[in-house]
Amino acid sequence: MAVATRQTLALTKRSTKAILRQPALMVPSFVFPLFFAALSADSFGKTTRLPGFPVVDSFLQFALASTVIQGVLFGSITGAAALATDIEVGFFDRLLVAPTARTGIVLGNLMGSALFGGAQSAIFICALLPFGVRVESGIPGIVVMIISGGLIALGISAIMSAVAIRTGSAEAVQGAFPMLFVLLFFSSVFFPRQTMHGVYKTIATWNPISYLVEGLRSLILDGFSLSAIARSIFIPAGICVFGTVLALSELRRRISAK
Amino acid sequence: MTSQPPIVAENLSRHFGYLKAVDGINLSIDEGEIFGFLGPNGAGKSTVVRMLTTLLRPTSGVARVAGFDVVTQADSVRRSIGVALQDAAIDPLMTGTELLQLQAVLYGIPSNKMKSRASELLERVGLTAAGDRRVGTYSGGMRRRLDLALSLIHEPTVLFLDEPTAGLDPMSRIALWDEVKRLNREGTTVMLTTQYLEEADQLADRIAIIDKGHIVREGKPQDLKSSVGVPTLIIDVSKEQLEVAKTVLKTFGDIRPSGENTIGVGLRDGASAVTDVVRKLDEAGVRVSHLELSEPSLDDVFAEATGHRLEGENQ
Repeated sequence: MAVATRQTLALTKRSTKAILRQPALMVPSFVFPLFFAALSADSFGKTTRLPGFPVVDSFLQFALASTVIQGVLFGSITGAAALATDIEVGFFDRLLVAPTARTGIVLGNLMGSALFGGAQSAIFICALLPFGVRVESGIPGIVVMIISGGLIALGISAIMSAVAIRTGSAEAVQGAFPMLFVLLFFSSVFFPRQTMHGVYKTIATWNPISYLVEGLRSLILDGFSLSAIARSIFIPAGICVFGTVLALSELRRRISAK
Repeated sequence: MTSQPPIVAENLSRHFGYLKAVDGINLSIDEGEIFGFLGPNGAGKSTVVRMLTTLLRPTSGVARVAGFDVVTQADSVRRSIGVALQDAAIDPLMTGTELLQLQAVLYGIPSNKMKSRASELLERVGLTAAGDRRVGTYSGGMRRRLDLALSLIHEPTVLFLDEPTAGLDPMSRIALWDEVKRLNREGTTVMLTTQYLEEADQLADRIAIIDKGHIVREGKPQDLKSSVGVPTLIIDVSKEQLEVAKTVLKTFGDIRPSGENTIGVGLRDGASAVTDVVRKLDEAGVRVSHLELSEPSLDDVFAEATGHRLEGENQ
């Protein structure tokens, strides 16, 4: 067990370094969400007066959760794509031919994504606080938001890792990016569900991303409550469990198919 | 561990659907041997290595490596072997030192020994100065040497090298051969696959030639070459002495087609007859301006066994 833990931690370290050493992949996951936050704060400021819109100091306060979610989702693709690249170039075989704990290969990669997701969340919060954004739940809420960001990154990265392991193709993983984008738009990431109508509202209600962002938004707008913590932690944790089980079963399938 | 050979395969097969990539091969590689697996692309070499290194399950047959069954005791096999796979699959974002340290963790080497082992191996393969550079900046030869170092982190007794010098320049190739020979002298059993005739000839104590999933010949390089014919002696003489020379040479073997003022003879008693040939020609008054002995090559062995040549096929 100790050996497997040590192996997983070493692979986590590798995964984290790999993300940090690819600025071309990492930087867009910071730049685009911040750019979108700036743009929407300026363009959609008046929408905060719409009926059903939650009480906010500014649209930017509302947009903080959206910024975190966008960055974390885009960033989580990087880790899964790296796993697919490992399969493509044969590094995955190097890990398999060593006495490496099989679960450690996937978990190490996911832990790297989780750390990056947590760091992204902290950076987004720090970047928007100077512009007058208040987090009603204070420091404890920010800590929960960072943990939630890490869990969301882990969960999404796990689902994408399942795609990576099944296809062994970084292109297939990158190809899922537009799908994530569509999921983002058909959720409550950019506007509250209370302001939506018809099919759009129905889709947003069924879209799990709505619940991820609403958990974080609750910590920002409503304050520190058990309900907000539960939504911010348990929903992402559920996705983590689902994604990890899926990724590990794909790994088992890939290994046994050999 | 038992006293049985470190690598044994019995009737080992691997089928991909209807394709029989490897079809019932038998192998027994002795301790301390360098065993060469020679064949063209797609012959089944890498499939055999992947089965023996636990990366691929055999469709049928049995294989034991370092005394362990490759299917039922895969983890024990993995702990006992070193593997350098085709194309030096190394993460280009990591440094040489980082990769060696990661490999050390995967093989359960204690933290306090990790750094010294990594430094020792970098020195061994001549990469100390490049150890802190990212692998993406390494040349092909440096990657191969690092790959070899990675495979040695846990001091394995059995080493698998899958096309270790493919794509390398001649200098890097020779440097890698030297390192493989050194490892072998230190007691490591080596199985290497190659499509280079010279590599198999230079490195291997024994060779198996594989074609279309079957081992078609197996033995020591010299024995295999001898089995396909005798060496040919080619001499250049003046036009006037051509007939006299032919008469002399006929007593040593069959005269073979050759160029103008040149005669070739297949020496039925082998290369050791060369001194007798020279003496008889001298006694007959024939002045030889050039003399060349041509041994049968492994390509001749390959051609004789398969009906097609290896040289040119891989180019």
